[in-house]
Amino acid sequence: MSDNWLLSVENLGVRFHSPRGTSQAVDGVSFEMKPHETLALVGETGCGKSVTARSILRLVAEPPGEYSSGSIQLRNEDGSTTDILSAPEKVVRSIRGNRISMIFQDPGKALNPALTVGRQVAEVFGEHRLDMVLEKAGVSRARASRTIVQIAQQRAGWLASRVVGLLRRQDVRAVRRALDDEVASALADTGIANPRKIMASYPHELSGGMKQRVMIAQALACDPDLLVADEPTTALDVTIQARILKLIQGLQERRGTAILYITHDLSLVKEFADRVAVMYAGRIVEMGRSEDVLRSPQHPYTQGLLAAIPRADTPRGELEAIPGSVPQLIDAPLQCHFATRCAFASAVCREKIPVQTALGGDHSAACFRHNSAEELNVAASDMPLAASATGETQR
Amino acid sequence: MTRAEAPETRQSAGSVRWARRREVLAEVLRNPLTVVGFVIIGAFLLMALFAPLLTEPNQPDPYQSPRDWANIDSPPGEAGHVLGTDSQGGDVLYGVIWGSRLSLQLSLTVVLTTVVIGIIVGSFAAMRGGRLDNLLMRIVDVFLAIPELIFALAIAAVLGPSFRNIILALAAVFWVKYARIIRGEIIRIKQAEYVAAARVVGDSTWNIFRKDVLPNSVTPIVVQATLDMGNVVLIGATLSFIGLAQAGLTEWGAMVSAGQSGLLAGEWWVSTFAGLAIVLWALAFNLVGDGLRDVLDPKTEGR
Amino acid sequence: MSPSTPQSATSTVEVDSVVTLNDVSVHYPVKEGLLQRVSGYVRAVDGVDLTIPRGQTLGLVGESGCGKTTLGRVVAGLVPATGGDIWFGLSAQQHAHMNRIRQIEPSERSAEDRALWSELEANHRLGSMSKQRYRDYRRNCQVVFQDSFASLNPRQLVRDIVGRPLRVHGEVSGTDVDQRVIELLERVGLGPQHLLRYPHQFSGGQRQRISIARALALNPEFVILDEPTSALDVSVQAQILNLLVDLQRDLGLTYLFITHDLGVVQHMADQIAVMYLGQIAEHGPTDQVFFDPLHPYSRILRDSNPSLEDEEAVDRWELSGTVPNPINPPRGCRLHPRCPVATEACGWSVTDALDHIESHAPAVFESIDSVARSSDFAATIAMGSDDDAHSFVAQLNAAPFHSAMTAPAITNGKVVSLSFVEVDDAQLLPIRDLRSSACLRTQHEGFLPRQ
Repeated sequence: MSDNWLLSVENLGVRFHSPRGTSQAVDGVSFEMKPHETLALVGETGCGKSVTARSILRLVAEPPGEYSSGSIQLRNEDGSTTDILSAPEKVVRSIRGNRISMIFQDPGKALNPALTVGRQVAEVFGEHRLDMVLEKAGVSRARASRTIVQIAQQRAGWLASRVVGLLRRQDVRAVRRALDDEVASALADTGIANPRKIMASYPHELSGGMKQRVMIAQALACDPDLLVADEPTTALDVTIQARILKLIQGLQERRGTAILYITHDLSLVKEFADRVAVMYAGRIVEMGRSEDVLRSPQHPYTQGLLAAIPRADTPRGELEAIPGSVPQLIDAPLQCHFATRCAFASAVCREKIPVQTALGGDHSAACFRHNSAEELNVAASDMPLAASATGETQR
Repeated sequence: MTRAEAPETRQSAGSVRWARRREVLAEVLRNPLTVVGFVIIGAFLLMALFAPLLTEPNQPDPYQSPRDWANIDSPPGEAGHVLGTDSQGGDVLYGVIWGSRLSLQLSLTVVLTTVVIGIIVGSFAAMRGGRLDNLLMRIVDVFLAIPELIFALAIAAVLGPSFRNIILALAAVFWVKYARIIRGEIIRIKQAEYVAAARVVGDSTWNIFRKDVLPNSVTPIVVQATLDMGNVVLIGATLSFIGLAQAGLTEWGAMVSAGQSGLLAGEWWVSTFAGLAIVLWALAFNLVGDGLRDVLDPKTEGR
Repeated sequence: MSPSTPQSATSTVEVDSVVTLNDVSVHYPVKEGLLQRVSGYVRAVDGVDLTIPRGQTLGLVGESGCGKTTLGRVVAGLVPATGGDIWFGLSAQQHAHMNRIRQIEPSERSAEDRALWSELEANHRLGSMSKQRYRDYRRNCQVVFQDSFASLNPRQLVRDIVGRPLRVHGEVSGTDVDQRVIELLERVGLGPQHLLRYPHQFSGGQRQRISIARALALNPEFVILDEPTSALDVSVQAQILNLLVDLQRDLGLTYLFITHDLGVVQHMADQIAVMYLGQIAEHGPTDQVFFDPLHPYSRILRDSNPSLEDEEAVDRWELSGTVPNPINPPRGCRLHPRCPVATEACGWSVTDALDHIESHAPAVFESIDSVARSSDFAATIAMGSDDDAHSFVAQLNAAPFHSAMTAPAITNGKVVSLSFVEVDDAQLLPIRDLRSSACLRTQHEGFLPRQ
């Protein structure tokens, strides 16, 4: 663990129980995030990247899910650390939306269709930035009655808010105006040209790109240290995707948020992420700086994935397809999950689970091709063809 | 070599289909409540089937309880009447057993006819669309606006008190539900890509309806029909309770009504056992219907 | 540099075409109110001209709402076109005849031409084909859909799904059907063991193979692929794309490949048609459209596409604003409200002015009392007060399109009258070689305008 880290996921394991058996959706995943950096978590359907993302905010439903192992350490300002997986619910709730925020793939599903957009963003401010709002409104904490606080948090009952609205008209108005200003400014920050109009709209009246901006505004309202983005642009058109990504990058530069970006699209990684971790069947198979991994992939799966992406110069009909399909994770055997599809697979691959092997310069891969027979204590004939033999290792 | 395989594969196609049905059944039976429902239904079926063996059928009309004038209002267990007798000496056990036949007759007849009529009307509306659809659905709306019980009551009252008229009344009321269900399902399925695929292949509308649309729309009908097997008996019992069936009929609702006057006097067994039969019947079908819905309806699947 | 005249004399070289579309439109009526009165039309496809040459792959690209899926369905015969003609199987010569006769007014055609036209219609035009020819069309034109799960009847066995086209067309019967189905399954990389299974027992990639097998059952000439790999993982997509290429080569197929994925279309298509808001913005050979786009939208699509290539991102063009309403699309060139290189000649209208005011000066927009349009390009707008009228005019004069308007005049203190130069709606016109573009500026200047 380096000394300048923000989030440290250590040996995370998540299981799901179903009538058909137990599947280990996330198996021994470890990675670290530093402040201000963007880490992309890449993988295909079922690799466990979404579950990992949700675990960071402890959003996995238990049951049928279960956190079977590991810890997720978040570093606090005073230097202490909080383990999100074992902290009390109240602590986790105060982290969510505040220090760690999340945006999802389908903004339509994440927004409440029965509330205006303005109210939903205001909720975040009322919940996590109450003092700032009150200060702006010129209402001291002492004078803020419980109902006024509830009005700020968008939780006040209808009757109570009407009554207090009359009795303490000036204060309530000030609070509401302060909130509106904050919300408008947050929305404007995401490039929305007419924030006041959007605030009065309902989610179904907005386009996909607009809804995503609203969700980003909501997520960044409290200047979180970490933003977890779970495939936020997968459902959007490519021209809108480009603008949203540019927006997120801009916001990151201005505010210094760290971003954990979940995606299945390797092409996004190059432009967008500092580092990338590739997942397969619940495990991280390769991790490192984006340019290193993309230019010189060290795991057969990453190599296969890159070769499968259609490019202008690939002759037609000769895309390299990875044969076979992802194995079932229910009662899976204890071996390298990729062995069934790997051209280099050998005896040891089918008997042991590979671990992350450092390859220099922050680049690591979990593949026996980078280990020697001696370190593993097996016969040389059981080992796969070494990466160094085919000249694939990094310069 | 492949030609020799062909007749074999045709035989196996049937067995594959059966294997699939068994799979679904196994899934349904995984829920213990559903199993309970099935067991209760099984018990009633046996009771209805073997009624003449379980008790001596009364002559001339087996659906009238044999009167033991010597032992009227006798409590359960006495004088050879396991569940007691009513104020006319009618054997309660006999009534319950033969009443199950009537319940079966009532529910099967009503459900089968209404499902068929509903499917025909609903299919026409959905497949033709346009004005026919509008017209038929407005008629359905009118029917649906009136509560089932009241409507059935009105019809039965007009037709005159008899068991057959109760069946007619319920059939007249219940069919609209199925028409609406199947119309909704068909309209939804018409949008499905496999229907478009069948059109691209060039298949006729009737074939598409028969092979693609109908088989995939019947699931909610199966669930609703199962639930209605129970509900029909409930409403039918209510109607005969009010007096719209023949007097003295071994119909559970009529029995509950007959035993009503005795309740104050502490003669609980007539109404209670008949009422229990009604409740168990309706409950059983509801449990099975719910169990089927959980398995067959993709929306309620899983997590 | 002399501008090439928009009405170029040379039309595209006629080739053996599998499908030719002339001015095809699909307009859906929008019904409102108790009496279901038609209040407007959603112009899903609006005046498309397209030719798909035999043996090639035409890629149809665009974002959501551009009409490419609807166009695919029209060609597949699933959705009737509300305007225009669709021709199937015209040889190069027939194509030339059709194009020639089409330009002549029906009343002025010679008897010979009229006979020729009737014959062409009876044999090749969708909607006037004889029954026999329609069956041929149905046999020759097949579709592979996007959602492999939804395109297979969940209650049918693979054997019945793939064998169905054979049974419907009565080509093969009885045990021969099974044999043919096994052949087809093997052709797409599956096997006889898959014959008696249900769709849900397969993975997404396998289901798509089943769809392809079904499409091939009748030995079609032409297959419409509607986003066939969009729902698949990259590694599975590669398998399916390879398969499609092999099949095209072995069976001499022609493909219409509809997708929103630029990487895929660049790999698979010989020619590309880029669609925006119901119309084709650009059409030409794939490489040229990508490396040397002739329409701003093509350029934007290319620039927005994240790429693994090593080139540095230079001068990326972007799309601004949001997708317009397909019921009342912008006049002139449909892209102009969002285009980075739009000028005053691109079709600015009253709607654009109002939209601009709404987003840039909402307070002024709120003070509008009423709008009376005499056309899309001219209107009188009543404001709340004299001051409001002046602010409105000031906003208009400061707007980027101000040179497209005649100077707005204020009458009666509160009423502003507004008129724009009328511009014809954009058409897809040939620019050079085999390339065409609907950009008004490109048509005038011969190249993609600079930013």
